[in-house]
Amino acid sequence: MSNGILIIAESHEGALRPASLELVTAGLAAKAAVGGSLTALLPGSNVAGPATELAGLGVDTVKVAEDPKLSAFTTDAWAAAVEAAVKALDPRVVIFAGTTSGRDLAPRLAARFGAPSAANVIAIGGSSDTIVATRPVLGGRVQTDVSLGGSLAFLSAGPGAFEKAVSTGVTAPVEALAVDLSGVSERVRVTGLAAADSGGSSSLASAEVVVAGGRGLKEPANFALVEELAGKLGGAVAASRAVVDAGWRSHHEQIGQTGKTVSPKLYIAVGISGAVQHNVGMQGSEAIVAINRDPDAPIFKIASFGIVGDLFEIVPELNRQLS
Amino acid sequence: MAYSIVVLVKQVPDLNAVRVDKASGKPLLGDQLVLGAADAIAVEAALQLKEAHGGEVTVVSAGPPSVKDALQRALAMGADRALLAPIDQANALDTLALSRVLAGVLSGLTFDILITGQNSDDYESGQVPAQVAELLGLPQVSWVTKLVAVDGGLAIERDTEDGKQQVIAATPVVIMAADGLNEPRYPSLKGIMAAKKKPLETVEVAAVSATTDITWSDPAAPQKPPAGIIVQDKPAAEAVAELVAWLRTKNLA
Repeated sequence: MSNGILIIAESHEGALRPASLELVTAGLAAKAAVGGSLTALLPGSNVAGPATELAGLGVDTVKVAEDPKLSAFTTDAWAAAVEAAVKALDPRVVIFAGTTSGRDLAPRLAARFGAPSAANVIAIGGSSDTIVATRPVLGGRVQTDVSLGGSLAFLSAGPGAFEKAVSTGVTAPVEALAVDLSGVSERVRVTGLAAADSGGSSSLASAEVVVAGGRGLKEPANFALVEELAGKLGGAVAASRAVVDAGWRSHHEQIGQTGKTVSPKLYIAVGISGAVQHNVGMQGSEAIVAINRDPDAPIFKIASFGIVGDLFEIVPELNRQLS
Repeated sequence: MAYSIVVLVKQVPDLNAVRVDKASGKPLLGDQLVLGAADAIAVEAALQLKEAHGGEVTVVSAGPPSVKDALQRALAMGADRALLAPIDQANALDTLALSRVLAGVLSGLTFDILITGQNSDDYESGQVPAQVAELLGLPQVSWVTKLVAVDGGLAIERDTEDGKQQVIAATPVVIMAADGLNEPRYPSLKGIMAAKKKPLETVEVAAVSATTDITWSDPAAPQKPPAGIIVQDKPAAEAVAELVAWLRTKNLA
């Protein structure tokens, strides 16, 4: 009889990933619907620090799977660790973070166990018999509710879909989970990690404020306005696909379907019309400010605060008033 | 060394033509069916490897007869042959059932590299490549933005949260192509003409059976969030003052 929730947390350089904090909230939502206890697995190497942090976020138990082969992510080693945890704990549902590795592992493990799965889910409900996971499709304009029966299911959380969990003041027990990775061959060998270019994907993904510029800026030099605003708010600079395609900005700053997905506390869209391919990458932001001259621009439909007007008047004025 | 490369592609509705019906909240798909955006990147990656090192590129898809158009597009770009696994509707199957169909077709082929798009444009789950890799017992490398053949395998860069992860993968391997890997070519007129003479075969598939225990609702628009504040027809200084006050009440500035 399988029961409970297993979430697969991730850390990097001694700290939990922001996506792991969102994952805990997804796990708590699943626990409320499905019942049982919430166990967090933290695979890695030398992860005692993040394990302690994880134990304070509202989970019932933390299991740590330590192995040198888990220090850098490879699908083979991580999948073997999660497989061992699933066999040991027999959970009703396994939830992965909304990360590149989570998106790799959830379907792979589902195929390994012959179990149903759903990717990029933004809400979890239902019951122990039938878990219901909501996910966006067709560029995020519509959603589907996936019903997952049986005794085991795999989900990955949508980036930014769940609030980041905060410390509860209660510390869950941290236990080691033995995993034998001796049989994992190095078919894919990690040889390095190049930090993204200045202000790259990592800082964009974790930034609390993102200021994004689009074609309304008219020419690359005018991105200085966006950069100044980002500087005043301590935020990161991002760009729409149109200006990346035009060569104004580098691809690592691109927001949207073929770029990054961000969910900061504040997202400011400057001169971005808000095509669906853009909006899918930022509509999870807590507050969205839009500045655009076209009152019919789709960005105003999702904006929490919009100013219809000339960005070349408004943004310099905003920079002044924020000084 | 010359490579035998297989590219998995999906035919999808043109995302730019999708509308949402205001009354019902249901998506209205245009008539236009296209080769998925990430799949075109996957085809281009295969062609570049072939052009640099020699070899053969086979494109494979599952779906109704209309999928031949997407396969023809890949052939016109320069792929050598195409295989169609006939099933009624790719989106009517859960991903694991579809992956089993595709893995069945692929297990009859010999290849060094299997390249797919990172995600489809319509259901966007990105699950099929990983599931096919698992079913075939192959490693997968996802979010690939650089792919170079080297002694002993492929030198790859992946776009991750932490930056560009560099890996060396031995073949055979499943590569999931991400945006930024390349700029897919448009088929030339010569390519389009040549594609008509290239082999496009329909293969036999074993009985298709859905995975038990998974169903999903028809897609529909989510409940609309409450409308935001829109400031219009006001001088910049006044509009900005309202914005700054709003940001301060929300502790955002």
